[in-house]
Amino acid sequence: MKKKLVMAIASIMSIGMLVTGCGSAATGSAAAGAAEAENKDSQVAGAKVDASEVEGADEGSAAAEDKIIIFQSKAEIQDQLEDCAESFTKETGIEVEIWGTTGDDYQQQLETKLANNQGPTIFTQQSGDILLRLKDYCADLSDIECVKDIPEGLTADITLDGKTMGIPYTMEGFGIVYNKSLCDATTLKSTDDFVNLIKEQNAAGVKGFELTSEDYFLIGHIMNTPFALMDDPDDFIAKLAKGEAKMADQDVFKEFGELMVAVRDNCDNPLEQNYDGQIGDLATGKAAMIHQGNWCAGMFGDYEFEDAGMAPLPLAGNDKLAVSVPYYWAVNASADPAEQEAGKQFLTWLYTSETGKSYLYDQFGFVPVIKGDVNENLDVLSQDMQSYVEAGRTIGWNMAKWPANSINVYFAPLAQEFFTSDMSADEFINRLDEAYAEAIANQEN
Amino acid sequence: MKLRNSIINVLLMVLGIVYLFPVYIIVVNAFKNRAELYENILALPKVMSFQYFAKAMDKMDFGRAFLNSLIVTLLSLLFIVVLDSMCAWMLARRDNRLSRFIFMTFVATMLIPFQTLMMPLLQVLGFFRDRMGITVTDTLGGLVFCYIGFGAGMSVFLFHGFVKSVPIAIEEAATIDGCSKLSVFFRIVFPMLKPVTMTVIILNVIWIWNDYLLPSLILYSKKNRTIPLSTANFFGQYTIQWNLAMAGLTLTIIPVIIFYLCAQKYIIKGVAAGAVK
Amino acid sequence: MNSRKKKDAAWYALFVLPVLAVFTIIVIIPFVIGIGYSFFSWDGLPVHEKKFVGLDNYVRLFSDTRFMVSAGHTLVFTLIAVVLINLLGLIFALVVTSKLKLRNILRTMLFMPYLIGGLILGYIWKFIFGEGLKTIGETIGRTDLFFNWLVDKDMALVALIIVATWQMAGYIMIIYITGIQGIPDDVLEAATVDGAGFWYTLIYIKLPLIMPSFTICLFMTLSNCFKIFDTNLSLTGGGPNNATEMFAMNIYNEIFKLNNYGYGQAKAILFLIVVAFFTLMQVSITKKREVEM
Repeated sequence: MKKKLVMAIASIMSIGMLVTGCGSAATGSAAAGAAEAENKDSQVAGAKVDASEVEGADEGSAAAEDKIIIFQSKAEIQDQLEDCAESFTKETGIEVEIWGTTGDDYQQQLETKLANNQGPTIFTQQSGDILLRLKDYCADLSDIECVKDIPEGLTADITLDGKTMGIPYTMEGFGIVYNKSLCDATTLKSTDDFVNLIKEQNAAGVKGFELTSEDYFLIGHIMNTPFALMDDPDDFIAKLAKGEAKMADQDVFKEFGELMVAVRDNCDNPLEQNYDGQIGDLATGKAAMIHQGNWCAGMFGDYEFEDAGMAPLPLAGNDKLAVSVPYYWAVNASADPAEQEAGKQFLTWLYTSETGKSYLYDQFGFVPVIKGDVNENLDVLSQDMQSYVEAGRTIGWNMAKWPANSINVYFAPLAQEFFTSDMSADEFINRLDEAYAEAIANQEN
Repeated sequence: MKLRNSIINVLLMVLGIVYLFPVYIIVVNAFKNRAELYENILALPKVMSFQYFAKAMDKMDFGRAFLNSLIVTLLSLLFIVVLDSMCAWMLARRDNRLSRFIFMTFVATMLIPFQTLMMPLLQVLGFFRDRMGITVTDTLGGLVFCYIGFGAGMSVFLFHGFVKSVPIAIEEAATIDGCSKLSVFFRIVFPMLKPVTMTVIILNVIWIWNDYLLPSLILYSKKNRTIPLSTANFFGQYTIQWNLAMAGLTLTIIPVIIFYLCAQKYIIKGVAAGAVK
Repeated sequence: MNSRKKKDAAWYALFVLPVLAVFTIIVIIPFVIGIGYSFFSWDGLPVHEKKFVGLDNYVRLFSDTRFMVSAGHTLVFTLIAVVLINLLGLIFALVVTSKLKLRNILRTMLFMPYLIGGLILGYIWKFIFGEGLKTIGETIGRTDLFFNWLVDKDMALVALIIVATWQMAGYIMIIYITGIQGIPDDVLEAATVDGAGFWYTLIYIKLPLIMPSFTICLFMTLSNCFKIFDTNLSLTGGGPNNATEMFAMNIYNEIFKLNNYGYGQAKAILFLIVVAFFTLMQVSITKKREVEM
């Protein structure tokens, strides 16, 4: 006891001395004899004291059902979500804490926290490979009332073994986004039409078409189209994984290779362009077409630009937009049951209550996923997308079904090489096959 | 001679300005919207309006974040300076095999990429929380504790390198006069380490003030956010809200610059004082 | 005598243990756990099985061409960057400790880049290389030399070196300044009285006396360059075609993108052993050259 007391005095003094300059240190020597054995413990204890001091009044995490934590990846809706959470707290008394992060490191943060039992109540989930990886952390949401009102097509990708593990955020679609005052991309019927339009626009002094250097905008999205045009994309992907099929044997992929060569030969090097610049070019009339999705409409406002439309990439005569659910809300299955219930209550409130819906549609600008709901305030691109959805003219997204992060780690580097060399169309597709096989091999390790 | 000097001065000034060009880009773009930024990223803003600064401050909850950052930085620094200088001095003066081993351990760990420690670190902290009831995660104190650990390598290394410039004769004289080790250290050695202490302070302040990765792992709640964490929402996956991000960044670095300017004066004073001896 | 020894040990403990204890908890223990994981095949999620694979992860490393290539880039990058950063940092330090009028403002200006975190800098520099260099090239008609360096696999590495140097030189300058200011004025005055010129003073007096700063600066630049991540990620993202994927980014991709946690740890440990060997050798060599005052 005495030892500890002396030790405590000594450590306080050593810090005190720095503050006060230099005090008398005579007592130090007496304390030192005791120091060796105790030092380690006192250090830890010191930090604890220190922690609680700074923390002050902590609400305490014991009453979990009174508080839920939301961790989500869409930085664009973060502010609105915080307002939304406040309204929820007002109406139900359940506190909501929102964690933020940059868009880039969401997944890594989420997994690190889940792995250490410090996960949130509600988090953003994606389908495909990531779902398989995190399925043990996703609670079954089938018993939530409003889930029954979501068309099966929209929850199919997030359903495993009959359990619906997520509620769709919204719908997103991509294809050719074009400037209506320059051209009309809806008239395109084939790859040749597309290439001709690029050339025509180029001749008129406008950039015909632009891709950009970000991995998904460079190769990820555009490569989805040939996959989606397979007779049975899932079957094809399964066969690719087993090495039973090759992209190089498919005519659609051959045509895709040629399309990419045409883009390389007739357009600016995408590696020199970025997302911001691309939107600027489109909105100021310097570019006629870009390969993008309805998410980019949010950036039009600063340019006071509205004259945009979205059309399918006419590869092999394709006349459908690639539409899918990018993200889902999931509830953490490893959380306390009461906390999970509160999480489900939040989602129910968000998708069924008047207040919740007003946030969902007016503030977040989401496209309704609940049958019968309409959002009157959709942006121009989402309106186009909506009409394709209503006409049933959509193809799916396959990116999430490819091996995890294969786009960042395998396909994008290959595309970079493609755009800076004179690689032929055939070689490009062969190399894609190789990269795919490599990604599969790595995944199995 | 005078002419040569002024030419050198002008040249250096030009060099300095070229050197700071990227900083110029950051500041001017805190005043532009997306369209104006796209038009010309280099041009001065058309309207000098501080609306994005105001918006950024509001979204960042700047006051709170600033206070959190300040607490974390100051506390970490206090511990780092006192504990590490003590440790480094003892390791340098007792130059035996154990000291060399401990010193090399400190040094070697500076080579470990932080990314590989993230997962095990959270496990260790989780162990503290579950088995010992000590909450390190999501407390500012816990973050300080981590900074003491992560800052040790570099700071001990720096102090260790400069202990040798303290004449050992004075220490010995003091010991003969009957001073204990603690008073020898704090009365004689520590004041003489002032230049390197200032270096350690400056480098650690900047590191801790700007650090994103460690706080993003340790802190979750909004009320605990430090300044870098509070700007995270400006960074989407594909695009940045440039004006807010730049304004936020400017707001982040202004305190550090002010601090640095003050500290710099101190360095010069310290040197002048040292020269008298 | 025995009590004297005991007392000495107690003093030693009082000075060394506090920080060593925290350090052990925060750095050493996690690191050792990390070593443990390198013998497992595991994806990083506790709900999934950890499979003990012995040394398989390490064996696999040697046939991982992407890792080897990345390690090679890192070595080249580090070697060049370390030399440049230290050279520039030392020159800066000499300039701002001279009697020039502008030294104070220069010191601040040169140090500024370090005040700004790595991530946003990458974005800013991306623009400078993209638009800036291209404009210069088009203006003076040398598009073969001035183009967007980030899309060329060799020049992208050069770009990364430039940005790293720009950012780190001011930082290293601070440490050199500390060293230079530690040189007693009487030594310099004596040299001047003896008629030593600028270069003589620099090479035979200043440089030997700032050997401790060299040890520290070399090591700090080495460790920072080996670990470069933020700037790498935001400036080049490892491209084009992985030509600038540095070691830390390779590990990061392995652990967090490809979910091969154990294998990523093995990479980290192997590289650490190699790097530690070289740098610790460097530290002990330069340490020996330090002049005791």
